[in-house]
Amino acid sequence: MVINVFQAALLGLFACLASMPGLGGTSIGNYTLGRPLVAGLIVGLILGDMTLGIIVGMAIQVVYIALVTPGGTVSADVRAACYIGIPLAMMAVKAQGLDPNSADAAALATTLGATCGTLGAILFYGTATINLAWQGMGWKWLEKGDTHKLYLVDMVLPWISHIVCSFIPTFVIVYFGQDMVSFIMNSLPMDGLPMKTLFALGSLLPCVGIAILLKQVIAKPTDFLTFFFGFTLAAVMGCNLIAASAIACFFALINFQISTLKNRPVVAAASGELTAADDEEEEDI
Amino acid sequence: MADTTAAKGGRKVSKKALAKSFRNWYYGNLTCFSQEHMQTFGYLVSMLPIVEDLYDKKEDQQKALTTYSAFFNTEPQIGSMIVGVTVGLEEARANGEAIDDETINGIRAGLMGPLAGIGDSLIVGTLIPILLGIAMGLSEGGSPLGAIFYIVVWNLLAYFGMRLAYYRGYDLGGAAVEALVGPNATALRDAIVMVGTMVIGAVCATWVSISTSLQLPGGGTLQGTLDGIYPKLLPLGFTILCWWLMTKKKVSPIVTMLILLVIAFVGAAVGFFGAATIAAPTA
Repeated sequence: MVINVFQAALLGLFACLASMPGLGGTSIGNYTLGRPLVAGLIVGLILGDMTLGIIVGMAIQVVYIALVTPGGTVSADVRAACYIGIPLAMMAVKAQGLDPNSADAAALATTLGATCGTLGAILFYGTATINLAWQGMGWKWLEKGDTHKLYLVDMVLPWISHIVCSFIPTFVIVYFGQDMVSFIMNSLPMDGLPMKTLFALGSLLPCVGIAILLKQVIAKPTDFLTFFFGFTLAAVMGCNLIAASAIACFFALINFQISTLKNRPVVAAASGELTAADDEEEEDI
Repeated sequence: MADTTAAKGGRKVSKKALAKSFRNWYYGNLTCFSQEHMQTFGYLVSMLPIVEDLYDKKEDQQKALTTYSAFFNTEPQIGSMIVGVTVGLEEARANGEAIDDETINGIRAGLMGPLAGIGDSLIVGTLIPILLGIAMGLSEGGSPLGAIFYIVVWNLLAYFGMRLAYYRGYDLGGAAVEALVGPNATALRDAIVMVGTMVIGAVCATWVSISTSLQLPGGGTLQGTLDGIYPKLLPLGFTILCWWLMTKKKVSPIVTMLILLVIAFVGAAVGFFGAATIAAPTA
């Protein structure tokens, strides 16, 4: 598998669109193109091996299942995990001659993707820092009454930040790094300690992603029971995720009905407003 | 809070300006992000069509727009409601109601925190993981189906959800937000978080595959013994370990990953972790 200039440039473009303050916008860029599962499909299509792309993307996705950036602090960068990590991981899996469907391939992809994502945080801070310059110009234009130039500040000039911090790093690392990945992979024996560590780490890393999510939703110790219930559904009773979601919705419905029963007097007092709330919330589900 | 529902006889923001303002927010809320002014410029460009529609004189437009140059940051999907609310306030101000910059910015600053909390836990922490969990199930073995499912479902929900929040904020003003934090809304939110927590449990059991290749002295494998106690005990144990490190010990995710690296190295060296192909089932 060889990545040509055109393919590397396309990956660079997607990196510009997908990053956290990305030019694809938040919903389409960060939350769609910046999810490793989706990126796996895109990178797979660009590099001509969709199946491998998706398998690699999926392995990395578990680590980043809940990438929340409270107050703009990031511990990982999606553009690097997706558009640098996935291509390199695909190269590595091919170079090692691993079966794409094997746990080894998933573990290798996870380790490489998470490493790129973690080191890539520097790209996030780089982009945000360069954007300060455009914002500085924006304040001057606003003061002068050149209000239409605000569009330039918000939607056009950040492209420069992204050419520097997304396009060029992705292009360079993917295009020039491919030989290095193949070389490293070929020189490491499969049963040596470095590869074994890599595989073991790859199987452990998804725990961090799940734990980040747990950190948010577990408010009191009994919340662990809910988590454990879902775990048991899949681990012991063999439910797949759709079945587990359906069962979860059923229990949540019961829980909701009990809670609203407790709120009954309040409901009567302000029913108009609350109906509106329900409609609104249901749209969000 | 001022009545923002309708402008008394005077100016009303045109449908076209509202649509443009929403589009600008939908696309541009974070495109020019910096640590200093996170979503401020996204906010400015989404208010620009509104002030141009409401005020004829250039100086008035500029003066009104300057109100929104204060720092702004929230969860952008649900935060579109705040933009809608301020459009209503700006409309009332254009019709001569006594609303000053401080009032608008006070409301804005008061709303962005709570809505960020709701959005982060409900959308980023629950909705997206549930969708991704289902999508990964559909994509098992490398099928594009799951990825396509996620692209379609997420984007429809995000676009129409944000649109609804924006227009509801504009129509109802502060009441729209009060409805989001009322007792029934809280009950619904708890129920949704409950679904999320269960799905995460299922994701953990389905997508984390950790196994040991350690042979027990008396014959048999440690993995076999662990499976006898509870299936998938290692994924559960390591997940709880990470949670404990990050929550109770305040360790950052990056340091947690480094701790796992040490565990992986030592584990591989002593033979606890072997070649995954031999021991682990296919993910």
